[in-house]
Amino acid sequence: MTILAIARVSIRRIVRDRTALFFIVVLPIIVIVIIGATVRGFSTFRVGVVDLGAGQAGRQLVTALDRAGDIQVTRYSSVAALTKGVARSEVSAGVVLPAGMDTIERRGGTVTVGVLAEQANSTQQAAVTAVSSVITDQGSTIQAARFAAAHGSGSFDENLARALSVGPHVQRVEVRTVQAESRANTLPGGFSYSAPTELVLFVFINALAGGAVIIETRRLGMYERMAAAPVRPRTIIAGETATYVTIALLQSVMIVAVGALFFGVSWGNPLAAIVLILAWAVVGAGAGMLSGTLFRTPEQAGAIGPAAGIALGMLGGCMWPLSIVSSTMRAVGHATPQAWAVDAWTSLLARGGTIISIAPQLAVLAAFAAAFLAIATMRLRRVLA
Amino acid sequence: MIGSALVIARKDLRQRLRDRSAIVLGLVAPLGIAALMSFAFKGTDTFHFTLGIVDADHGPVASALIQTLQQPSLRQIVTISPAASPSLASAEVRNQKMAAALVIPAGFSASVAGGHPLAITTVTSVNNTIAGSVASSIASSFVAQLNADRLSVATALAAGAPATQAQRLAALAADLRIPEQAVQRPLGAHELKTISYYSPGMAIFFLLFTVSFTSRSFFVDRAQGMIDRMRAAPIHPVEILAGKALSVFAYGVVSLATIAVITSAAFGANWGNPLAAGALGLALVFSVVCLTALVIGVARTQRQAEGFSSIIVFGLALLGGNFVFLSSEPPLMRRLALLTPNGWAMRGFTDLATIGGGFGTVVLPIVAILVFSAVVGTAAGLLASRAVTA
Repeated sequence: MTILAIARVSIRRIVRDRTALFFIVVLPIIVIVIIGATVRGFSTFRVGVVDLGAGQAGRQLVTALDRAGDIQVTRYSSVAALTKGVARSEVSAGVVLPAGMDTIERRGGTVTVGVLAEQANSTQQAAVTAVSSVITDQGSTIQAARFAAAHGSGSFDENLARALSVGPHVQRVEVRTVQAESRANTLPGGFSYSAPTELVLFVFINALAGGAVIIETRRLGMYERMAAAPVRPRTIIAGETATYVTIALLQSVMIVAVGALFFGVSWGNPLAAIVLILAWAVVGAGAGMLSGTLFRTPEQAGAIGPAAGIALGMLGGCMWPLSIVSSTMRAVGHATPQAWAVDAWTSLLARGGTIISIAPQLAVLAAFAAAFLAIATMRLRRVLA
Repeated sequence: MIGSALVIARKDLRQRLRDRSAIVLGLVAPLGIAALMSFAFKGTDTFHFTLGIVDADHGPVASALIQTLQQPSLRQIVTISPAASPSLASAEVRNQKMAAALVIPAGFSASVAGGHPLAITTVTSVNNTIAGSVASSIASSFVAQLNADRLSVATALAAGAPATQAQRLAALAADLRIPEQAVQRPLGAHELKTISYYSPGMAIFFLLFTVSFTSRSFFVDRAQGMIDRMRAAPIHPVEILAGKALSVFAYGVVSLATIAVITSAAFGANWGNPLAAGALGLALVFSVVCLTALVIGVARTQRQAEGFSSIIVFGLALLGGNFVFLSSEPPLMRRLALLTPNGWAMRGFTDLATIGGGFGTVVLPIVAILVFSAVVGTAAGLLASRAVTA
């Protein structure tokens, strides 16, 4: 009962603080929305297009680009705007549809479609490859129409229509795709990426910043007063731990609910997800208690806590998937509990994992939680002694 | 008047430097995070992958495809690695030794001239979709000419060319070149490296924390009667505010400049033309001073100041693109970023790092930031003297 009383008072103090509520409730949701809208997966090239009056042929090419699965088309109003767009990396390459594309094709000339990209920039080069493939494909009907006009009968326009109608019946040399590996080692794009990673990030950051409450309690001499009553140090520490676990759980449940209800995030195997959330809440509680005993002033916890939380989040794959960094950074990242939690969520969301498949990650998280809590308890006992 | 403001500014700065969290926020954290990003993305700013090739055909068409893959323009994105069989290539793709593989089947060269051409297969992995699609694109570009030739013959036959001429037509078509080609044009801009984006991004994010620091310290001073004591001296309230503003300005300028110098020298971040970057930085720090004054003017207690400034710091950082590449955000988010001074600053620093140029590149961002500062500063001016005299 005493544990609950201590936890109740601490929780009330945290919930009454509107700034804390902003960090616990509002900020994570805003971040999930922004990151979710930004990270649309890591599988498409963004390509900008400007039409200088290419006519029908230009419109057909834009449609073909749009239909290519790995290209996402954005329109620009001028070459200058497109150049800036490519320079700022808004798009990976810029396609300039020339004026009079239709006329040139009819007169038998070769249409050159300008593609803005830097030779030295390999990402842009890869986008150029994808764009070139669509352009040459489109050009094949023009070649066929001209050839038929020269060696068969009819005008260019008649043969263009003929090429389009004959096309589907001509057996093409196909390029087929076979997937050798279908088990993803990154989270899916969009909100399914941002919701679990931000859950891991914010529960931890809030816990670190929340260490300020323990510091304030220390400063006010409240622990001494509690210790003067017939309350054992163990009970006080258990009460504080219960506070942090409760806050972390409340925040996690809110993120899970918002993700599932508003952004269609499927959190995977329910039992595994619940155990993972619990494990992460205890890791967070340990980190929060540790921050409360390590920092001297509430300002330090408020300032250094979020900075440390962001840095650990970056290392642990909350900001970008660890599969895109070097193997050394991946190994370093796994010195943080965040990396193990993100790995576990990836298993649940991307590979249909169960509690058995995430057992190794849960064991590591349990070890982190035990270490954090043990050090925090030791330090807090010293204050209470 | 300037004398008293300087004294107050000096005292504020000294007090701030004594508190280690100011150094952490102004220097250690942004540098640490920039360093982290620099290490994390070392070598990943460029796109390059290993493509396995299974050549079971050994015919002329297969050789032509392999030659295409080895042409100089593709060398910087693809390295070719031969694989003995489709199953071995799949295993290599699965264990990420190869990012993707192309399988050219036996009899491919002979089949492309006939009625039933064989297919090329791209072996991909869900964990490297870009490499898979680039490999498919290269193969598709190559077979596009073969398909164009086949379509040309079929269309000519449909247009009345005698069927007996099919072989002659196929030979003629083989000399054709698709009349619609992509021609690459250089941009004249530098690549936007991760470190060149996030160095200013993190420096600005932590600079925004000055708002919460200073407004908080103002209310602590007021609670301790410091402001009242200052007012008892022959000092005008405006001088007290000027002193506080000056300390914020000096702290901000030193923090930004130090981070710019260190990230350029140690991590190769490109901040662009120093004069233009400096002018942009000064404008941004000025807007931070105005925001601080606004929080002091609007808040009535220390708690309120902390709350308002937290919302301002994180709200601006999220909208302005300090955390995520502004360029990868949807168009609406990019427009919203231009309502924030840090969003304009990020655009300015991005343009300096990519398009280059001097002062002309950042004129528009600087004007936008100054307009923002003027609006916020006017509102703050009306409210902040009340906070001093309260």
